[in-house]
Amino acid sequence: MITASKAKTDSKDRIFFFLSGILLLSIILYSYWISPLVTVAILTSSLRQSTPLALGALCGLICERSGVMNIGIEGQMLLAAFFGFLVNVWTGSLLLGVISGIAAGMLAGIIFALMTVSMKMDQIICGTIVNLLAAGLTGYFYPTGINATGKLKAYSFPFLSELPLVGPVLFRVSPIVFSTIILVFLVHFLLFFTQWGLRTRAVGEYPRAADTMGINANIVRFYNIIIGGFFAGLAGAFLSLEAVGVFERGMTNGRGFIALAVMIFGKWTPIGAWGAALLFGLALAVQTQLQFDQVLSIPHQFTGMLPYLITIIVLAIFIKRNRPPGSLGVPYEKK
Amino acid sequence: MHERTFRIIWIAITGFMIVFSPAENHAGCGEKTKFCIGLVTDVGVIDDKSFNQSSWEGVQQAKAELGAAIKYIETRDAKDYEQNIELFAENNYNVIVTVGFALGEATIRAAKKYQKIHFIGIDQFQGKPVKNLVGLVFREDIAGFKAGALAAMLSKTNIIAAVLATDMVPPVAAFNRGYEAGSRYINPDIKIISTFHPGGLDISFTDPEWGASTAGQAIDQGADVIFSAGGLTGNGGLIETATHKGKYCIGVDTDQWDTVPAARACLVSCAMKRISPSVIKLIKLAYKNQFPEGNYYGEVSLSSFHDFEGKIPQRIKNRLLEIDNNIQSGKIKIPDYE
Repeated sequence: MITASKAKTDSKDRIFFFLSGILLLSIILYSYWISPLVTVAILTSSLRQSTPLALGALCGLICERSGVMNIGIEGQMLLAAFFGFLVNVWTGSLLLGVISGIAAGMLAGIIFALMTVSMKMDQIICGTIVNLLAAGLTGYFYPTGINATGKLKAYSFPFLSELPLVGPVLFRVSPIVFSTIILVFLVHFLLFFTQWGLRTRAVGEYPRAADTMGINANIVRFYNIIIGGFFAGLAGAFLSLEAVGVFERGMTNGRGFIALAVMIFGKWTPIGAWGAALLFGLALAVQTQLQFDQVLSIPHQFTGMLPYLITIIVLAIFIKRNRPPGSLGVPYEKK
Repeated sequence: MHERTFRIIWIAITGFMIVFSPAENHAGCGEKTKFCIGLVTDVGVIDDKSFNQSSWEGVQQAKAELGAAIKYIETRDAKDYEQNIELFAENNYNVIVTVGFALGEATIRAAKKYQKIHFIGIDQFQGKPVKNLVGLVFREDIAGFKAGALAAMLSKTNIIAAVLATDMVPPVAAFNRGYEAGSRYINPDIKIISTFHPGGLDISFTDPEWGASTAGQAIDQGADVIFSAGGLTGNGGLIETATHKGKYCIGVDTDQWDTVPAARACLVSCAMKRISPSVIKLIKLAYKNQFPEGNYYGEVSLSSFHDFEGKIPQRIKNRLLEIDNNIQSGKIKIPDYE
């Protein structure tokens, strides 16, 4: 009985997603037909603005799927943006900058894992500690008077970038934006089709059961937090080395928290979270475009609400069937 | 036992920190021989490569010329404006400089409370003059007009853009008004795509990522000159433009050639407000007890073209000079400030 009704809602969901997907696609094609340049600009901008959110959401969901609530993503991103930029300035190499940004994100992950998994401290408090620590450290050691050496630039794939619409949007992109798309699908595959993914989900749902099967829940959580740090680090490196080109204090501006909302919105699945991030990015880009064109004389503070409004509405529609991992936020203790 | 030792150590550490915490050094302010100047920044940092920084440079010059004692407080949160001003006022500073439109009300309140202290409110237009407070304001619309004229003359696509912080701040709105008027003066049919940051006072000046992606979106649809105004947000727009070949950007407030080197590839000029010279001038007037009241208009101008000096045709330079003269003689009327 239960399975029958679940199957029914699932197929209802599918039809709904399918229809809204077709609607969105036809809107995009129609606007491309009217004004190709503007459409490409909007889509490029949405992809770009969704990137730190999607990466942050990947960090969040790898942690949460194994039962650890990580609200320190904001701090991890900030630290990564900071160290990535510093190393870039010292060595003059953007690649080394990105690598050390990722390392900084993972290092912050290790600190977070030590507190939450090893010491079993409250996860919300630990996340807050990471955020405060990052804001304090990067603010205090903020270097003045050093010059950036540029930022990661867009790369055009031969032939593919000549395609109409998809060419300039998908194949004339900066490296981190492009890798994010690949990473989303990679994590999705790893999470649902590999042993690691099965263990992660088992530990997140019911760690005792996993433990009796011989999986060390705490070790799985520890590693997952560090893997999550990789994505938060990449998001930070994106901000300072690809999006802006310099580090500024507090430059994450709450994107780590929006990433969490995006993750919940996407029902703790990578592709779902990516879709949510894209929707959010699209809303941001459309919001800017409405101002550019001044077609509507709506105050821009009002259009500025758009991304958040859409998030709230869509969350309100879906939240009832949104279920977090079973043991989320509960430290696991062996008896 | 264990817990007790721990507690004792804890108390000892706290006590140690209280006893040895560095005392705020305001000693001697208020005495006749000493001249003290305090500066309170807007939310942001003293070295923001923009208006906080140039105000502070003015104060530093006062130290060199008058031998004044100087100090600044960086405001972390808009709630702290009043407290930060009080901190200087209670220590009998002679001059208190508050930087930014957002501190306007707090400054007026403080000026009424501490009538012996001279207050300089940067970007704070004074509707009702207070005796010991002068608002240092600028005709941003004039600076914006020149920037707009330059942008319109440089544009090949006839699409120009502006990436701006919030229009809740009158100077930013004035820059935009002038920019639009100036570019239409050159070319009535030009397409201007301008955006204000949708956030409030707390975030709109400190969001470089928004500035960068917005500039990118404008460039992608054909804009080839970007006017980027608004603290760190604006700097993000400048640096983004620099990564696109053949595009121009125009900076704001200070000569950003020096402050944002990453933008040099596109930075043709800056719509400058000469904040430092005006600050030092007002401080000197306070020193001589000839402090004015009401509003003091500082000078605005375009910065030099730096690397683009040779690339900009003489025709454009002449036209800019002509516009300059016409504004001064009143031939060109710009929608008035306030």
